[in-house]
Amino acid sequence: MIRVTNLYKRFGDIHAVNGISFEVKKGETYGLLGPNGAGKTTTMRMLSALSPLTSGSITVGGIDVTKHGREVRKILGVVTQHDGHDSGLTVLQNLSLHGYLEGLSLKQAKVRAVEVLTFFGLEDRAGANVYELSGGMKRRLAISRALLTQPPVVVLDEPTTGLDPQSRNRVWEQLAVMKRAGVTVLMSTHYMEEAATLCDRLAIMDHGRILDEGAPDALVDQHAGEEVAQVRTESETALAALRERLADTPYRLHEVGAMATVTSENGKRPDLTGLTGVRVTYRQGNLEDVFLALTGRELRDE
Amino acid sequence: MTLAAADNRSSWTSAIRWRSVTGIWLRHWTSYIRYWKITITWVLIEPAVALVAVGFGIGQLVVEVEGANSYAEFVTPGIIMGSAMFHALFETSWNAYHRIDNQIYETQLTTPITVFELTLGDVAWAVTRSLMTTVSVAAFAVALGWIDQWSAVGILIPAVLSGMVFGTMGFFFAATAPYTVFLSLVFTLVATPLYFFSGSFFPISVLPDWVEPVAWAMPLTPAVHMARGFATNSLEFSHLWSGLYMVGMILVFWPIAVWLMRRRLIK
Repeated sequence: MIRVTNLYKRFGDIHAVNGISFEVKKGETYGLLGPNGAGKTTTMRMLSALSPLTSGSITVGGIDVTKHGREVRKILGVVTQHDGHDSGLTVLQNLSLHGYLEGLSLKQAKVRAVEVLTFFGLEDRAGANVYELSGGMKRRLAISRALLTQPPVVVLDEPTTGLDPQSRNRVWEQLAVMKRAGVTVLMSTHYMEEAATLCDRLAIMDHGRILDEGAPDALVDQHAGEEVAQVRTESETALAALRERLADTPYRLHEVGAMATVTSENGKRPDLTGLTGVRVTYRQGNLEDVFLALTGRELRDE
Repeated sequence: MTLAAADNRSSWTSAIRWRSVTGIWLRHWTSYIRYWKITITWVLIEPAVALVAVGFGIGQLVVEVEGANSYAEFVTPGIIMGSAMFHALFETSWNAYHRIDNQIYETQLTTPITVFELTLGDVAWAVTRSLMTTVSVAAFAVALGWIDQWSAVGILIPAVLSGMVFGTMGFFFAATAPYTVFLSLVFTLVATPLYFFSGSFFPISVLPDWVEPVAWAMPLTPAVHMARGFATNSLEFSHLWSGLYMVGMILVFWPIAVWLMRRRLIK
């Protein structure tokens, strides 16, 4: 449904997107996971024809974005990073006028606006000014706006960034419903729980490149292991001993922050028995560990 | 055209999607009438106050003015065109900047609209605002007997052209403004000098010889000149040139506005 081939984007000297390729199948939810500045937003903007490509190609539903941007936007629902609501209009007017601009008749647009508001639990806010909404409501309004025309493909740029956990859960629930309805979704996120919960497959991005892609579980197995070890120590010598122990093994030590993390490249739990002066705990591997294993850095820069 | 090639959203030759234009216009109308109690003060009350103050007040001091029976008659088309300019200019500078800054354009651009169509819708709305203020102030002036109703109908022509001249010009500021305060230049560099030096309040012929051609070249001057031609029933060839001058400005300003807006929005 979406095919990105050899995509590059340069802003002057900055290589925001540096030769990425991926494909999203029909009905699939595909995630771009990476820290701020990884090139996720730029990729999504190019896909929505909000940004010209430097080189490479993007097709959506077989339509070339560069040549037929207008046609692509007809089948694409877009949730931009900023909500982009119109403060001069009410919640309902925001939706119905957007629907009209999309090509619905005024009557249809109003009907659909009420439908999506109801679906997102915002129907009692229809007459409100958008600036009266909470952050979570604004985000849900942005998503409902993208669904007005029932597009077969939806692009969501960081759908839950800045939301409290409750609002985030609510958005996730609704995205899950959307997914069950067969909508093809491309989303970006820097929350690994979000990527793990919603995405069938995802690409780990950093510095404009895709480091690896696959199903969340498969990526964890491959790069972090089912269980990772977290090592806490205050002793330099103990750390040195650990480093030596792990040399030439499929285990990797990542010293980031107060805690050292040991990931595994063969899916097996690292054996750290017999080390002195360290406290070792094991926990389930996750996408954070995958990112750590691939880049040596933490995903979150918060 | 190379202008269009830089953007994957439109080309000058591709057909205009009229739904985009009406959709944008409808958005502005919907928002405007929500606040009509406030907006009417600018459409009618503010220019009417200027009209009465200048027409009655200064009119008492002016015994004779070139090309009109009274100072009030002289100044009426000038104040109306000045108001038409303000509305169009404000719409596509301050208001358009607000729409850039709050990602409202970005949201609109996720629909099948082109940047050119976006400016078409915005300028159509700028023209609407010029017309609204022209009609309401002209009706007021008709009631005062400072302009007759048929002349007032004629004034709609320069009102539409001013809406397009200043509607396209406003984008120059919106599209290049790095921050809101920058937009003060719309008033200090454009609106205020034009309001006073475009033959609205005194004939250009009273200016020093060397300033006269400058005053004639200013973009509001042809609108005032043409409006006065209608208002004083003295239409001649020079008014046609004024009209053509405005059409010329629109043809030059519009592609520049689209280019600047595209550069700002699609990157």
